[in-house]
Amino acid sequence: MVMAAITLITLAVLATVARVIGLIILSIIAGWFLAYASIKSKFFENIYIILIEIFESVPVITFFPIVLVIFITRIGGPLGVELAADFLVLTAVVWNIWMGEYQAFKTVPREMVEVVENSRFGLFSKLRYLYIPFSVPRITANLFPSISDGFFYITVSEVFEVGVHTYQTFGIGSVLDTFVADGQLFNIEMALLIMGIAIVAIIVILREFSKYAVGRYTLDTDAPVMKRGRLNLRETARVFAVLSKNPLTRLARYYKYREGDNHEETYEKKERKQKRYRYVYAAAGIIILVAILYGAVSLITSVKLSEWGILIGKTPSLLTGLGYDYLRVATILVISMAIAIFLGYYLAVNRRAEKYWIPIIQSLSAYPAPIYFPFLFILTEPFIFGIFGVFTNELYVLSLGFISTFYYVFYSFWMGVKAMPAEYWEITRNLKLGYFRKMRKVVIPSTFPYLISGISSTINSAWGGLMIGEYWPDIYGTHSLTVHSGLMKTIDVATATGDIALAAWGSLIFGIIVAVYSVLFTRRMMDLAQKKYVAEEGVYSA
Amino acid sequence: MEAEIKNENVSNSVLEADGIYFSYDNGYDVFENINIRADSGKFVAIIGPSGIGKSTLLRILGGFLKPDKGIVKLLGKTLYEPTPEVALIHQSIVTFPWMDAQENVMLSMKAKDMSRDEMESKAKEALSRVGLDGFEDLYPKEMSGGMRQRVAIARAFAADPYVFLMDEPFAHLDELTAEGLRQDIYNILFSGETPLKSVIMVSHNLTEVLELADEIYILNNIPATVVGRVEVTMPRPRNPRSDNFNANLDALYSYLTPPRKKK
Repeated sequence: MVMAAITLITLAVLATVARVIGLIILSIIAGWFLAYASIKSKFFENIYIILIEIFESVPVITFFPIVLVIFITRIGGPLGVELAADFLVLTAVVWNIWMGEYQAFKTVPREMVEVVENSRFGLFSKLRYLYIPFSVPRITANLFPSISDGFFYITVSEVFEVGVHTYQTFGIGSVLDTFVADGQLFNIEMALLIMGIAIVAIIVILREFSKYAVGRYTLDTDAPVMKRGRLNLRETARVFAVLSKNPLTRLARYYKYREGDNHEETYEKKERKQKRYRYVYAAAGIIILVAILYGAVSLITSVKLSEWGILIGKTPSLLTGLGYDYLRVATILVISMAIAIFLGYYLAVNRRAEKYWIPIIQSLSAYPAPIYFPFLFILTEPFIFGIFGVFTNELYVLSLGFISTFYYVFYSFWMGVKAMPAEYWEITRNLKLGYFRKMRKVVIPSTFPYLISGISSTINSAWGGLMIGEYWPDIYGTHSLTVHSGLMKTIDVATATGDIALAAWGSLIFGIIVAVYSVLFTRRMMDLAQKKYVAEEGVYSA
Repeated sequence: MEAEIKNENVSNSVLEADGIYFSYDNGYDVFENINIRADSGKFVAIIGPSGIGKSTLLRILGGFLKPDKGIVKLLGKTLYEPTPEVALIHQSIVTFPWMDAQENVMLSMKAKDMSRDEMESKAKEALSRVGLDGFEDLYPKEMSGGMRQRVAIARAFAADPYVFLMDEPFAHLDELTAEGLRQDIYNILFSGETPLKSVIMVSHNLTEVLELADEIYILNNIPATVVGRVEVTMPRPRNPRSDNFNANLDALYSYLTPPRKKK
């Protein structure tokens, strides 16, 4: 009996791990081609990057109604549920990997591109010998948060309720849900243990791979690294102008070249060819836009006309809920930053402590909080209630938000301190700056780009924690965790009661506001960080 | 009788730039009517003040950039895009850190119809030519700057180019390494063991230019034009410490006035 349970748990953990890892691999492979298309076509790049930036800043919950409409209603059956779970996990892991690959492709030194252009490489050779190896360090850096995000959402991806229907697909999230519902304490403990072992194993493998990737794939040449983003591209745009050829064309060229009658092409012919490729990339961009429009139209047409009036009427309360949620996010962010700045600095300058604590923090962050959080709740709730009374649930929601998101700002800041030029440390010693002055005048300004990046990720992930925590029915036994007011709660409740129209409307409002916030705040802060606080180009290669 | 017949159209030119005009996308005019010619067996240098566009010119000569007006000809045929027949060697040392020395060199043959054995053998030969015999398995991170630049040069050799375009290839090396490499490169370049016919080098280092070049083109003004062409007839090997060398060096320095914007 015990062996059967352990076997079941092990298989469920393997299924979940395979789901998360498989989707990450899929994201990486697709990301290479998308990144290549975006460096070849400005039109495609504009669509692609804007969409990534929006989707990156919108948490997984926003996709929930789309998932329900397309996968559950249209496809249905076990395949529909599996695809829904895969899609939800994919939306948690894909964006930062794609952004990382795009940034890597954009920062390939011009000189290296010229070497492969000089050898007349085709698309696959260019990817194989230059772009893919060059992107490995940045992909590796993004694997830690992607794996954490992927596992974080397994409880909501592998099993979810819509009205009276419960949809689930095999994995540790759904198996654990069954154990919790049946009160099988031993099996729950075994599941937590086996999941923990799997996560520690993954983190150890990732850390080793990360060391290998940094050792083998990072640049040590004098070739200058260009800035991130869509900047400084005038020169490279010209160099990139020669488009790849398919193998047959290349073969034909080769014989032509051997016969000595090459150089017959004119610039006009070349440009016509380039135009053809640009049309292909533009078509790909249009297909992506059409797919998104299709999703939007599917959602809109699924809502009856009479319901629109009700939805509009509920909008003020949805916005009020969003205001409460922003307050929660701000609280989580302030606490996370305060701890990150002190702990991150301490670990960055104390190698011994860093050696032990960083792997522990990485493993903890990858361990999905929603899996163990109910047990923290069971153990501490009576005590916490005695102190905080009616604010107990609020405290737990903030705690869940904190433990699911603290890692991002911490890790970014820690990396920033590690990447500080040695000369800065020497100056602080030379001037005998005290701790707080050193932090204020040197450490925080020089790590500002990292901090902004960490703050952005922390805010995005905090929504995920709120989404799970604000409405958690039967977190254990008959106890439920729920807050008084919040947009995430409204969306959760609407989904659970089958009110898909309200869930979709709330998600849409949320998505728009988050996207606007991203454009107005995060991007401006990133621009400021790039303009004012980047010490040197080398920071970008970190 | 037949021996006296001379075809006036027969040219000794390997790479030739005719009437090159070029502007950046922001409208800044870089070149105006640039004419440069590298003949067979000649080492050509291009000098000029910083920012005049020497590296950009090299990229136009290699087909990496398209001129707004004018053409580049390789062995009499118009060059429209980069080709392995014109190999560019960069100022910044470009080696691929994920490949060992031999794989780095083999990279220039990947697009050709060659077996792996052929590529390996040719890569070893190219590495041996630049003095890296026995270092085939080293990765760039395990090499000095001089060794890495030799790998980049071996990679260029392995493509069997007719022309080398060298963009300040010794700028990142210490003087002793650069001096050794300069001598080696010149000896290899025209040893006759490779199809190489000509070299065009851009450099700030006038000593280096005078030591290596047969012809020197001087760029100046904004937009840049060729303001002078010097033939270096000093016998080889040239000794940078000789009086004659220093006199020529002084003359060369006088050409490098700050650029003036044309009215």
